Amino acid sequence: MPDPLFDLPNLPDADVVVLAQQGREAAYRELIRRYERPVFSLVYRMVRDRETAEELAQDTFVKALNNIDRYSPEFKLSSWLFKIANNLAIDQLRKARLPTVSLSGAPDAATAAEIEATSFEVANHEPSALQALEAREIGSAIERAIAKLRPEYRSCIIMRHVEGRSYEEIATTLDLPLGTVKTYIHRARNELRTALEGVDDG
Amino acid sequence: MTYRHLLPDEIDELLDGQVGFGVAPLEAHIQECDSCRAQIEAGRRVVDAIEHLPRLAPSPLFAERVMGKVDVYEPWHVAARDTAAGWVTRLTPRSRPMRVAAGAAGLSIAAVLSVACVWLGSHLDALFFVGTIVRARLRDTLLEQLGAAVSAIFGPQSVGALRAGGPALLFAILATIAVLIVAAGLAVRLAVAAPGRTRRSGTS
Repeated sequence: MPDPLFDLPNLPDADVVVLAQQGREAAYRELIRRYERPVFSLVYRMVRDRETAEELAQDTFVKALNNIDRYSPEFKLSSWLFKIANNLAIDQLRKARLPTVSLSGAPDAATAAEIEATSFEVANHEPSALQALEAREIGSAIERAIAKLRPEYRSCIIMRHVEGRSYEEIATTLDLPLGTVKTYIHRARNELRTALEGVDDG
Repeated sequence: MTYRHLLPDEIDELLDGQVGFGVAPLEAHIQECDSCRAQIEAGRRVVDAIEHLPRLAPSPLFAERVMGKVDVYEPWHVAARDTAAGWVTRLTPRSRPMRVAAGAAGLSIAAVLSVACVWLGSHLDALFFVGTIVRARLRDTLLEQLGAAVSAIFGPQSVGALRAGGPALLFAILATIAVLIVAAGLAVRLAVAAPGRTRRSGTS
């Protein structure tokens, strides 16, 4: 029988979790590889501070992986991770109001090197220069608008449209009634539409 | 077509790309109604902008930092299986002729054991006879050793008391000793032997 560890990237989450529960370090790393970007993105867009987001994303994985033996397979792994991440981010926001950081570099970055060092790696999209410029502008505007939303709206709208989760999954993940999730997403869309109107007009 | 403006829920249905017989009249309405069409288009621009947001990458050392804080727990049965598999790998000869020789030796031993089992099975009366003798010898030896131990600890009179108590007293003493051994074993397991292995990345 072939060793499943050789086929880790092709295994479904549930099988990788079983291997992690058997103490396979490679399975732990595979789970991190699969979800580090989604979890970090969610947390960053919640707290708007790279260092804090990195710590919170780390805490999310440490908490989840140290309790992997208690993970219940009827709950989606991604939902479990998002739940932990969202709770940590909300706790952090309650503790302190964090300053906003631009995607293209920290506000206190004075030199080009510092700006580059504090910029994010943006993956996958390779459009033309004009498209890239337009996308970057609208991307920045939408990022700024999302940052101004209430945290509850923010997590709902990110899970719905960045992570592509259903309303039911979001309700389960965030422990909210389904109607509340729909209301939050509706209001978030309205607020974002209003915020983007100025950008579109300009 | 619907002769009223769309309700918020209906706008959300369209923005979520839902399908069904209820959606067709809504689609027909926005073809006719400039106000609702403008709302839907603005909503779609928002949704489109969010859906094109990139997933952000943490620092390259993220996984290492996480693994540095994670206790990789290995259950005892997996640890035992790995150890056994390791021994098998270690004991298996590397060269093909040696592997063939080892396989032939294993088969020979298995064949001899099988023949011995069959022979013993066909001589059960002899086996029973030998078993009775061995059991009697063992019992005598055990009682002798126990008597010596009791005599050494409690004095020669206690051996007489033990004999007077008969098999019931002997059984009670043996049961007490067995309970003490089991309790000691459990205590050692709880205190010393962790159920499995726990390690951190970089320390294993």
